[in-house]
Amino acid sequence: MLDVIARILAASLVSWLLFITIDVLFKLPEKGGVSGATAIGRTIEEDGGALHGGYMMGNIVCSPDASAGTLLAACGVYIAGIFGGLAAALLVYLGNRICHDPGYAGTTGAVLATFVIFGFTQVGFGAEEFIAGMVLAILSIQGLSHIGASRLLATLWGWRA
Amino acid sequence: MAGITGEEIALAIVVLVGLFAALRVAVEQNTLRKLPYLNVLSFAIAAAIALLIRHPLALLAAAAFFVGSTLESNAIASTYAGGNTEDD
Repeated sequence: MLDVIARILAASLVSWLLFITIDVLFKLPEKGGVSGATAIGRTIEEDGGALHGGYMMGNIVCSPDASAGTLLAACGVYIAGIFGGLAAALLVYLGNRICHDPGYAGTTGAVLATFVIFGFTQVGFGAEEFIAGMVLAILSIQGLSHIGASRLLATLWGWRA
Repeated sequence: MAGITGEEIALAIVVLVGLFAALRVAVEQNTLRKLPYLNVLSFAIAAAIALLIRHPLALLAAAAFFVGSTLESNAIASTYAGGNTEDD
């Protein structure tokens, strides 16, 4: 049981690094992609958080980003292996278009995550460990402290910009 | 604790995170502040769909649920922001 929990925590760390890297490279913290994402970013800033971190959190709420891509890729690999992950990437692509997202962070995240997760399943990890790991990773950004998470994301955005 | 599978541990973690996020959605008063917690809840529900139903159509169900929930959050947040602007 402890070995499973240790692998879920490791999967969570891998998923966290993957989606944060892709989202920052795709400039999600730069500005709100839609007016709702901008409003969420400004609300987090009013609470004492950082504006650009808030924009990224607003963008994650408003369209499937690399975190959603990683989650659905993990679900796809769990259900049907590497082709399931790629099917999930197609669904994320359609989801981005439905949500008026002009970017490709979600699709890119899903494709990369498919190969990363499939690779880890070859060395003893289960895809279900990445499903739980990604849920923990998104909890750390969107579900614990919006002020703390937005400041951390803004710091990472500062390095990128 | 013998007999617990890796899938069951993963599902237990997903459910606990989902319940925690649901509690925060319920407690938070401001709608825009609720939405990131609702986002975590949607992740947990999509994950639970895939873990509970290991079937190709479950992937479609999880993705459809997640995209639908995201679009609803998008619409709610944009409404609170004053509707469509030239940013959209």
